[in-house]
Amino acid sequence: MIKPELLAPAGDFERLKIALLYGADAVYVGGTFNLRANADNFTITEIEKGVKYAHELGKKVYVTVNIALHNKELNEIMEYLKSLDKIGVDAIIVSDPAIINLARKNTSLVIHLSTQASTINKEAVEFWKNEGVSRIVLARECDMGDIKTIKDNVDVELETFVHGAMCASYSGRCVLSNYLTARDSNRGGCSQICRWDFDLYEEDEHLKGEKPFTFCTKDLSLIKHIPELMELEVDSLKIEGRMRSSYYIATIIKVYRMVIDKYWNNPQGYEYNLEYEQVLRRCANRDSVPQFFNGYFGKDAQYYNGRVETTNQDFLGTVLEYDENTRLMKLEQRNYFKKGDNVTIFGPLDEFDFIISEIYDENMLEIDIVRHPKQIVYIKVPKLVKKDYMMKKNLTNNYNSSNMLES
Amino acid sequence: MKITAIIKNINQAFEIKDLVQTFIVPLKDYSINYVDTFSLDDVKVLKETGKEIFVCINKNFYNNELNDLKSLMIDIDNLGINGIIFYDIAVVKIKSDLNLKTDLVWSQEHLVTNHGTINYWYDKGAKYAYLSSELAKDEILDIVLNSKAKLFMNVFGYVPMFTSRRHLVNNYLDYFNLSDKAGLKKIYKEGKEYPIIDSTHGTTVYSDYVLNILDENFFDDMYIVFNSIFISDDDFKRVLLNFKDNKFPYEHGFLYKETVYRVKKND
Repeated sequence: MIKPELLAPAGDFERLKIALLYGADAVYVGGTFNLRANADNFTITEIEKGVKYAHELGKKVYVTVNIALHNKELNEIMEYLKSLDKIGVDAIIVSDPAIINLARKNTSLVIHLSTQASTINKEAVEFWKNEGVSRIVLARECDMGDIKTIKDNVDVELETFVHGAMCASYSGRCVLSNYLTARDSNRGGCSQICRWDFDLYEEDEHLKGEKPFTFCTKDLSLIKHIPELMELEVDSLKIEGRMRSSYYIATIIKVYRMVIDKYWNNPQGYEYNLEYEQVLRRCANRDSVPQFFNGYFGKDAQYYNGRVETTNQDFLGTVLEYDENTRLMKLEQRNYFKKGDNVTIFGPLDEFDFIISEIYDENMLEIDIVRHPKQIVYIKVPKLVKKDYMMKKNLTNNYNSSNMLES
Repeated sequence: MKITAIIKNINQAFEIKDLVQTFIVPLKDYSINYVDTFSLDDVKVLKETGKEIFVCINKNFYNNELNDLKSLMIDIDNLGINGIIFYDIAVVKIKSDLNLKTDLVWSQEHLVTNHGTINYWYDKGAKYAYLSSELAKDEILDIVLNSKAKLFMNVFGYVPMFTSRRHLVNNYLDYFNLSDKAGLKKIYKEGKEYPIIDSTHGTTVYSDYVLNILDENFFDDMYIVFNSIFISDDDFKRVLLNFKDNKFPYEHGFLYKETVYRVKKND
């Protein structure tokens, strides 16, 4: 068994810091030529800052350069690759082999092959290894047997997605976005048509279920299967979601970090705890299942919910500062809360519950309710907290304290 | 230009053989995005037309399918056809390992978008490339000028725009306990209808329109592809007979429509 890398998405520098703080070994970020064109992508300067920050912690930064190039980008990419090389990124994640060629000839960049290449078999993996690719991000269509066969037959690093949203198609084999919205899915413009509802007809007959037809799948979660992945010696376990919030990143990374460490430290004594799943489920907006990993991709892996996705309001705020003398923490609000609420404060390694008793506004005037997003408040806390800790509703209680107080 | 037909059956091939220079023949169990597929014995019969023949094995292959794939590629090599249209990179590796002589056609549908990558695959044994249908005209011209490979290009027919391993239609019918009469399915959105097909290997969704760029001029050595899927044999033949004046409306796809994508900020 090897201890796998836990690889987190980072949509911006703040989320990069959060991901690393909460236990990721490495992060992947988007720059100029990546498949999340609508994310707050990093400039070269920001990537450099992120690399410096990560390296000081002994951690890594990978940069996605995974679009399908058109001629125009082909002419522009070389300078970008040289810039990434110069600032010392740990690897680039590519799907277009023209980039592999350019990178190998002109830079010393380490190359990972994106899941966009839909690599699912040992022959393809060996091909890419021979081309100088040091890591393959396997297609999400691989099951456990596929991963084992590849691992047993080719000596190259493997990375698999373990958590997050899925493409309904083979990655790269979908241009619904191009045809329905004129946004290029393979150059970062995906408008997620697979989440749309359609009417399904057979000849003239409307095949109408209780909910409309959709391609939409449930999300992926392999939290239960981390021990199997570690026994398979998969090198890197990847979380999807460069457009997700800091709270989401912190929560997901913390849980996966805990599971990996627990199994690594004591494989014989390891027991799966349902609470992991509950925590993960609370911060997602769709159900999650193991998807292809168990070889099942039938009806129960689909998400038929008429486009309804739950929005999460558990996240109450981020700690900006803590004053040991006054025991007041400075917090930036994310969702409504008030005096008397039962809440949880969590950091990378610890968490505790308490009932909010004192809240002050920026002028240190006592208030009862915090209703404005990004409102800065000071809250008395019973234990030491640190910057970048987070406050959420206390999910271990079944009652909703806010509602109870209002009624 | 080489008029190239994706055919539905052997009879159709013989019916139109004098109107085309090339056939694309999707192989049963090894191809996806087609309704009608062929065996190697069918390919032998089709060779009697005297036309160039490219077989298509464009599905994604799993580890447990690789041995069959190798055997198939050896059999294809012995047939002496013109090329193998592929998606999965395992095909490139196997050709190289087994030193097979049949040329390859790099055909990763939506990813064949620049001459640099076409030339990369040329050096790996793909002497042909099948252009993506989502390219603008100026991009195609640039590729033609800079590519080492001979090029295929869709010019007529429905275009696959989505390929999944999942059985999305069957999943829906199963989930809501609806019956399947095995008829042609379509999905509707905002007044447009898109053919959708579940096959053994997954689901394909096609464009709502019949691509028809036959009013354009084409390069002499380019393979211009007419896809007969969902088109009646009679209509298909009529188009081939007089394709500069066919009865289908012109539909230029992305030829004059640039797709957009946005990067909020960069250096």
